[in-house]
Amino acid sequence: MVKIRRAYEVLFLGLFLFFLMITDLRYLKGWPVSLFLEATPLVALATALTTHTLYRNLVWGLVVIAITMMLGRVWCNWMCPFGILHHFFGWIGNRRNTKQMIEVNRYRKIYAIKYYILAAMLAMSSLWMIPTAIDAPGQIVKAYHDHPTVAGIRPGEAIVGLFLIAGIAWGAVRLIELAAPFLKLPAIGRSRKPATAALGVVLFAGFLWAGPVRVFDAIGTGFAKAAEEHKTGGSTLQIGLLDPIALTVRSMTTSVLPSVQNATEIVYTEPREYWQAWIVGLIFFGFLIANWFIPRFFCRAICPLGALLGIFSRFALWRIDRDPVRCTDCDLCLKSCEGASDPHTDLRKSECFVCLNCIEDCPHDALQFRFLPRKASEVALPAVGRRQMLLAGAFGLLFFPMARLSGGVRKNFNRAVIRPPGSVAEDEFLRRCIKCDQCIRVCPTNVLQPALFEGGVEGLWTPIMISKMGWCELNCTLCSQVCPTGAIREISIAEKLGVGPFESKGPIKTGTAFYNQGRCLPWAMDTDCVVCEEVCPVSPKAIFTRNIEIIDRYGSKLELKRPYIDPERCIGCGICEHECPVKDDPAVYVTAIGETRDKSRSLLLSLVEDDAQDLVSV
Amino acid sequence: MSEKLTRTQQKNLERLGGVNPADQPFTRRQFVHQVGAYAAVAGGAVGAGLLIRDRWGMEGVAPPPPVQLKDYKVALPTSKPSMVVVRSAPLTENFATKEDETRAREDQALRMVRSAMEEMGGEKGVRHFITRGDVVVIKPNVAFDKNPDLGATTSPDTVSAVVKLCLTAGARKVIVCDNPINNPESCFFKTKVGDAALRAGAELMMPQDSYFEQLHVGGETITNTWRMFYRPFREATKVIGISPVKDHNLCKATVTLKNWYGLLGNPRNQFHQNIHGIISDFALMMKPTLVIADGRRLLMRNGPTGGSLNDVKKSDTIVVGTDSVSVDSWCVTRLLQKQRHEIIYLDKVIARKLGQDWRPQWTREITV
Repeated sequence: MVKIRRAYEVLFLGLFLFFLMITDLRYLKGWPVSLFLEATPLVALATALTTHTLYRNLVWGLVVIAITMMLGRVWCNWMCPFGILHHFFGWIGNRRNTKQMIEVNRYRKIYAIKYYILAAMLAMSSLWMIPTAIDAPGQIVKAYHDHPTVAGIRPGEAIVGLFLIAGIAWGAVRLIELAAPFLKLPAIGRSRKPATAALGVVLFAGFLWAGPVRVFDAIGTGFAKAAEEHKTGGSTLQIGLLDPIALTVRSMTTSVLPSVQNATEIVYTEPREYWQAWIVGLIFFGFLIANWFIPRFFCRAICPLGALLGIFSRFALWRIDRDPVRCTDCDLCLKSCEGASDPHTDLRKSECFVCLNCIEDCPHDALQFRFLPRKASEVALPAVGRRQMLLAGAFGLLFFPMARLSGGVRKNFNRAVIRPPGSVAEDEFLRRCIKCDQCIRVCPTNVLQPALFEGGVEGLWTPIMISKMGWCELNCTLCSQVCPTGAIREISIAEKLGVGPFESKGPIKTGTAFYNQGRCLPWAMDTDCVVCEEVCPVSPKAIFTRNIEIIDRYGSKLELKRPYIDPERCIGCGICEHECPVKDDPAVYVTAIGETRDKSRSLLLSLVEDDAQDLVSV
Repeated sequence: MSEKLTRTQQKNLERLGGVNPADQPFTRRQFVHQVGAYAAVAGGAVGAGLLIRDRWGMEGVAPPPPVQLKDYKVALPTSKPSMVVVRSAPLTENFATKEDETRAREDQALRMVRSAMEEMGGEKGVRHFITRGDVVVIKPNVAFDKNPDLGATTSPDTVSAVVKLCLTAGARKVIVCDNPINNPESCFFKTKVGDAALRAGAELMMPQDSYFEQLHVGGETITNTWRMFYRPFREATKVIGISPVKDHNLCKATVTLKNWYGLLGNPRNQFHQNIHGIISDFALMMKPTLVIADGRRLLMRNGPTGGSLNDVKKSDTIVVGTDSVSVDSWCVTRLLQKQRHEIIYLDKVIARKLGQDWRPQWTREITV
């Protein structure tokens, strides 16, 4: 079994690295290179919380959830490339004897940290729930009156309403049960749960009176409406900071591959540079080296995806089971236990990576991977403190408004935050981007860079265009094709250029170029240049010139072409800035104003009206 | 337990009472419970995921449907003027207290507006326009945080007079709202409009982020939608605009039509790139019940902000009408003493057939 697992590890790590290598204009073709990013259920869950939708291929996450709920956290030791790397690094760094190995693989309390990280990050995605809950009753009443007949009822909404009402009723019953001893409520009938029956009767009678389906529909519709209305500005997506796939893709893209290129010249045609990528690389290697001190430190203590899968694995039908007769308590099963899941006693189901090493290591065949073993010999739920959980959630809820209201996103947005074409409006962008930097990986010109705090603390490592590094290639939409979450929604060349069916909408603009006339050669130094006009890729050119005649310092006549920007034509691609000979502080530079993705950042009235903007404005 | 057990294992077996629990097959109950829970939860999770799946990736970024403004016009009785110019004798200059002056000014405005509405509405007077149960939105111009004496904003006493007229006629609620250029609180406070509205019994609505919605205009400058301070109009049944009569640096005159600019959200400063186009769009966007041009103070120059009493002229005139265009046309020529065709947006509106120029035959001039 362990050999099969190793084969899978090689297979999945190999597949991951293969996809990583072919995320390149030359090899991309139709390969599903973002598959691993789309398969992490954490991305699916967190983006579902922030956007209320599941973007296209994120359904793969559902498959992983279904597998986890059947077999446990097989993802962590069979499929996850970061987990496999940790496994590998732990193996390299291992100089312990058997006794030490057994001790280092015992469960520790710090392994609960990942659950707190998960709670905090999901809370950051959920602040919209508070205004929604406040607004929902009014919306429900309104929806109830809006649909007096069964004809207008939407089945989907009614089902959601059914679940919601079941959830609310269940919560109410639990509350009454909890409060019963304090309130001294009488028991009703044979039920030991006082007042539960009464509540049930009242609710049931209420439904019969109001028409059950109509009530369900109203509740579903009302909640959906309230949630839709308060979605904006009510959440941020930060799971990408620690989601193992996003972290690995980001680290590989911005720090590992450029380093490999530096040594071997096999990755790119031109060397790449990524802004302050050493920080990303240091964190990546820090986590890998940590395996030498605590095996699988990231997986056991940090990984929020592991935490999520740990919660789901409580339902697992198969798990490691210890035969209490055959077991001689030698603890050898702990020797290579990857998850620190205590197989030598009652198994911690949420921690087990299903690596199956313990089965191999057991000298008495006392361990088995079994279908439906006894419930009594497992610890089904993670060992987390309720207080710590509450604190982590509260931190998440507080962190989001603190981060958003620190400026940098709305009023004081940074002119350097030039998002790639196809990006949705900034607020929506921050609800979708997982900082995986897959767009940066595929960008053929190196213009896409991981931001530091230009876009606020929430925007750490999200893609921005730094035109000194490259430019946005006119006939290229690769970044929009590989984005797993729709932060850069998929666009066609026609849509990007505003041709064909998109004629009336005009091109997608990522910013606007400006001249710094004090540094521009024809403007300030009596020297011919206009490289910017030459490279301007749009037709007609956004950069045009005016001929002037001047008398130079020695008194002779000189004819010069001085460049100007036509802001209606400029799409903010930045090639003018990239090619400007005034390299250090280019005389023509692009800033984010005038980007079409957000009406509130438009510059020209003549461009702002078209419906192109309405797709992404909020 | 067929194979041979070691001594430790035998001890284990004895400790467990001779039965190895791990050898027991799972019960039917356990199977139903666990497999059932798996099926329910996994099915629920996958089902919920598929339910919210955004197959093409466009649902998540689709904007909510835009809102539209109703037509708030009330048909006039036959052969009644659509515009009334009311003049009044000047008030005395010497009031004992500030309160006396406010009361006198409010009383003057009340008499002037009421008689104008009686002139237009026939025997029902104010009740022709405002009926029982109406929710009236009053849009004053409080764009700047200036003293009302400087003529840059709507007079507070005119606002309170109109609020009282509406409430007396049976309005259920009167909402006074504006989205000023300067800070809203200080604008409503320093122009004294906020206080006047509240004292007269109106509800004051200041702009909040969530009060804005995308409004469909479909005009010349706003070809599609724009963010608009829409919340007050959710329940409105009647709309009255009360504007000052003043000079404007770019569009030359701010009267009742330009007043609607104050309902737009940001980045509205872009509209200076086509100021006449946007003002002419207002005639398409807003069909008010009444517009009132408060010409008792005129800001003759240095508009729209003013700032000196030397720029202000008194005239004791109020113009009430149903068509902003004819009211504005009358005011710019008769009150601001500008050339009619200096005001390009008026020509534009008339060319677009969104309003009609002032004509003496549907105007009445009265004195109270």
